[in-house]
Amino acid sequence: MAVITIDGTRLEVPDNKNVLDCALENGIYIPHLCHHKDLSPLGSCRMCVVEVEGQEGVTTSCTLKAKDGLVIKTKTPEVDRLRMLALELLLTGHPAECTGCPKYGNCELQMMIQYIGPKTGRLKMRTKGFKAVEENPLILHDMNRCVLCGRCVRACNELRGVKVLQYQKKDMETYVGTLHGKLLKDADCRFCGACAEVCPTGTIRDKIIDSEVKREDAVVPCRHACPAHTDIPRYIRHVKNGEYDEAAAVIREKVPFPKALGYICTHVCELDCKRKEVSEAMSIRDIKRYAADHDTGSVWKGKGKQLADTGKKVCVVGGGPAGLTAAYYLRKQGHDVTLKEALPTVGGMMAYGIPSYRLPREIIADEAKVIEEQGVKIEVNTKVEKPAELLNEYDAVLMTIGGHAGVRLPMEGNDYEGVILNADFLRNASMGKETGMGKRIIVLGGGNVAFDCARTAKRLGAEEIHLACLEAREVMTADDEEIEQAKEEGIFVHPAQTFERITGDGKVTGVDFMNVKSFTFDENRRAIIEKEEGSEHHIDGDTVIFAVGQRPDITEDAGLTLGRGNSITVKDMNADKATSVDGIFAAGDAIYGTKSVIMAIESGREAAIQMDKYLGGDGDISEVLAPVQELNPYIGECPGFGYLEKKHTQVDAPESRSNNFELFDHGICDSDICAEAGRCLQCDLRLQIARPTTWGDFSENKEA
Amino acid sequence: MSAIENAKQMSKEEVVEKIAALDLMEYGLCHEKLSDRLNAAVTEAQEEGKELGVVAALNNADTDKVLLEVLKADPAKVMEGIAIAAYAMGAEKMSIQIPEEDTKTAEAVKEAADAAGVEIVMSIVDIRANKGSAILHIVTAANLADAFADKYEAGVYVSVNGEPVKKAACDTKVSDVADLSGAKAVLAGYNYYTPETIADMTVAEANIDNGVLKVLGEKDCIVSETEKKVTASRRQSCGKCVFCREGLLQLQAMQKDMTDGKGKEDYMAITKEIGEAMRFSTPCTMGQTSSEIALSAIDLFESEYVAHYKKKECPAGVCFSSETVYIDPKLCTGCGDCMDVCPKDCIEGKAKFIHMIDDFDCDRCGKCIEECPENAIIKTSGKLPKLPNRLTKVGRFKR
Repeated sequence: MAVITIDGTRLEVPDNKNVLDCALENGIYIPHLCHHKDLSPLGSCRMCVVEVEGQEGVTTSCTLKAKDGLVIKTKTPEVDRLRMLALELLLTGHPAECTGCPKYGNCELQMMIQYIGPKTGRLKMRTKGFKAVEENPLILHDMNRCVLCGRCVRACNELRGVKVLQYQKKDMETYVGTLHGKLLKDADCRFCGACAEVCPTGTIRDKIIDSEVKREDAVVPCRHACPAHTDIPRYIRHVKNGEYDEAAAVIREKVPFPKALGYICTHVCELDCKRKEVSEAMSIRDIKRYAADHDTGSVWKGKGKQLADTGKKVCVVGGGPAGLTAAYYLRKQGHDVTLKEALPTVGGMMAYGIPSYRLPREIIADEAKVIEEQGVKIEVNTKVEKPAELLNEYDAVLMTIGGHAGVRLPMEGNDYEGVILNADFLRNASMGKETGMGKRIIVLGGGNVAFDCARTAKRLGAEEIHLACLEAREVMTADDEEIEQAKEEGIFVHPAQTFERITGDGKVTGVDFMNVKSFTFDENRRAIIEKEEGSEHHIDGDTVIFAVGQRPDITEDAGLTLGRGNSITVKDMNADKATSVDGIFAAGDAIYGTKSVIMAIESGREAAIQMDKYLGGDGDISEVLAPVQELNPYIGECPGFGYLEKKHTQVDAPESRSNNFELFDHGICDSDICAEAGRCLQCDLRLQIARPTTWGDFSENKEA
Repeated sequence: MSAIENAKQMSKEEVVEKIAALDLMEYGLCHEKLSDRLNAAVTEAQEEGKELGVVAALNNADTDKVLLEVLKADPAKVMEGIAIAAYAMGAEKMSIQIPEEDTKTAEAVKEAADAAGVEIVMSIVDIRANKGSAILHIVTAANLADAFADKYEAGVYVSVNGEPVKKAACDTKVSDVADLSGAKAVLAGYNYYTPETIADMTVAEANIDNGVLKVLGEKDCIVSETEKKVTASRRQSCGKCVFCREGLLQLQAMQKDMTDGKGKEDYMAITKEIGEAMRFSTPCTMGQTSSEIALSAIDLFESEYVAHYKKKECPAGVCFSSETVYIDPKLCTGCGDCMDVCPKDCIEGKAKFIHMIDDFDCDRCGKCIEECPENAIIKTSGKLPKLPNRLTKVGRFKR
């Protein structure tokens, strides 16, 4: 330890620590620009100069090492003079106009100007004349604003080891860039964003800035996009390192069905994955699947929390993902939880909606077993008609009944023999019951459920299958993958169709369609459909399956207020899941309509939090299951990184898969998984980088 | 036995002791005992946890590079000197830095460097990246090799007015190596001197740290000369440090304004303020020394600056772009004599074609005017006649 004195304040600091950080950490502000806490000292900007007692002249405090007895003055006339001169010089090559700069208000240089107040108008000003480089994905370079603090160069070289950004010189103007002005992708940039993170000015900036969300959410968009906020970069890194048990534990910190999600999650995270700007988005779901498939449970088993029994009793009605999740976490909070399921097994839509060729039933059983082992009592084949009566026995009730009633469109022929609803069809197929379908099937609808129906029909032996929907191909809500695979299996897909009528005479003979010319929404979000004149046409069929949405299978008789689409009304979709009856809560598809498993899980978690609080708990269901991950910021060089292509899963050929219900997508293979996980940009590493210390931080402290 | 063999007969410590006893000094801008310099690098490497090394180079500030001759004359000797220093420090990493554009020299010394295990790096020295290395002047390395071959004689390398470099004994008077008659100023190393002050100095006293001794006469403009030197420094600077990058730019811009008749009185004070701050505001000699030329110019030759910014006059008749040298297309016979004498290589032409002067590079020295047998080359401050803008056969140019 060394005792140093800065402006009369005695500080005890580690030997040889740089004086600038000593001062900043002890509440003494010294202006600085090229210095960054996580980077080696450079001493080039001269903002941080100080005087040392007994030494002539000034010295940069960022390169000055603390030694016992050092006496430092940060504000002397000479220091002020030289700082002003340095800043005056620095600004001669920087645009004078601040207000047009995207960094306005967050610019460290701007704050430096306000603090130091340099002279103006004396020196020769210039525009460097560099063209802004906007061709790169994610990162924008505007070297005219650069003051050559060199932080980005050090971040790229020392901190990350990627070595893409270097000082370059053109004519007599020094600038930062890639060798020979290559695009970042061609220079093997890894798009970690450290350069943009440390840039004090508006020179290197993120192209995508979502100022609506919190900084860490904008920086790591996948984690934010996931409804349950699974820590995606963290588990991808574990998978890359072959640590599948750790990866599964990370996933389990947020969701109790890692494996099911690995097979069928709608992966909205991938839509926001920054990697997609560089080449293709990460296969987040398939990486999760690999981790879950290879998990032995050695890390998470026996680790989660189980609070002491509270004596409170909870009944969860409906054993789908929302109900199972809520039951699991409520049990962990110490409540006595009973789950009542109307069907013979739990799983909800995972078991009775999603076909088994996408999600094998053993997976649901295995994951539900974990919940049962936690102490949740499961009663199957138990349909609850009057939830309010449960309150006689239970302190709280949660309605997670999902949406098991299909929607029948109001159109001619909708009640003919041969018309089937999606939910009934899929449920019957799942249970091995007679579905009532014929040989020539017409599925009406363009979502994932419609494709589940069409492909299930194929597997049940239908001879000809047509799928028609209102939306144009590009805006169909089903996953592209789903659509393409269906076509491969011989299913005819007809986008942009209006359903005119179901033909027949009490028995379906087909459907009349017209082509859609345009399909838009007006300002009141009402659909406006323009049909193509003379485009009437007919498709023959003996079966029509409506796949145009589902709603909760409940009536007013249950005693709960219902809203749009027969959904159970709650006080607030997110913040308050209480229904019209005190003590009864609702969550999942039952309150917001058919969405996804991951949404249902999040809804179940949120319901568990609110109900735990209602029952007197603290509502904290968070768990730490995975060990702390040591992050290595030095990601190093990786030739061709930007061009690395997505690794695809192994999928059985259409002819061998389309006549049976066996799983046909076998995930990413062992030899590809590490490479796929290695494509991750590791956006979260950026959050480790220290935020700038500005004058404002200090003046606020003083006022407080 | 060779110098390095001699050194290796001794222990490391004995080598350092011998260097200290011989009183060998670091050549160039960093005047200090070589033994201290080696020891300081060892200490620095320990403190910073860096690899020990030896780097030989010119001073970063040296834009004339005449001392490279010492390397070119005997590459093996310089490599030997590097190896002795490395042996004394216990270092394995050795490199020699050669100016980026000088691939010729790099090729010429490659064999010797490879043989000695010295890496060739084509740039000025990055002081920060070479922490833990002793940075030696190329001449220091040569001297060290001489010392261990018992051939060392102290002396100063001097190139007078662009003549080949010669080694002069330390006590040689400047006036004995250079003809100072008719001199207005003398550029010695990085500073100007008046002829009166430098005449009595020895070469050792005159700080001829880069080997350059240039006598300026009445026809040389101090301002223009300074502008060229500062521009050369700007070209050479790596541009990482504020004072070197931006300071040099300001110094150059002010000199340029002066030569263009746009100078202001303020410039004198600003030059002084920036120039003096540069001395201690950068880590290497590039920034520390490159302002000296401007500082000594305004200090010693203030009146020339005053003439430039107050009266818009260049006492040497060099400045102001209003003065142009051109070739009269009617008189030129295309003999090519002017091309041969032009020191700036800025005359274009071929036999029987009208020659043309590139005004941008022309420094109006007037050598071509004297040479032209047809008196076809004219210096004027007035309006130019119409001139050809591409090569035109003699006699074909029409007004």
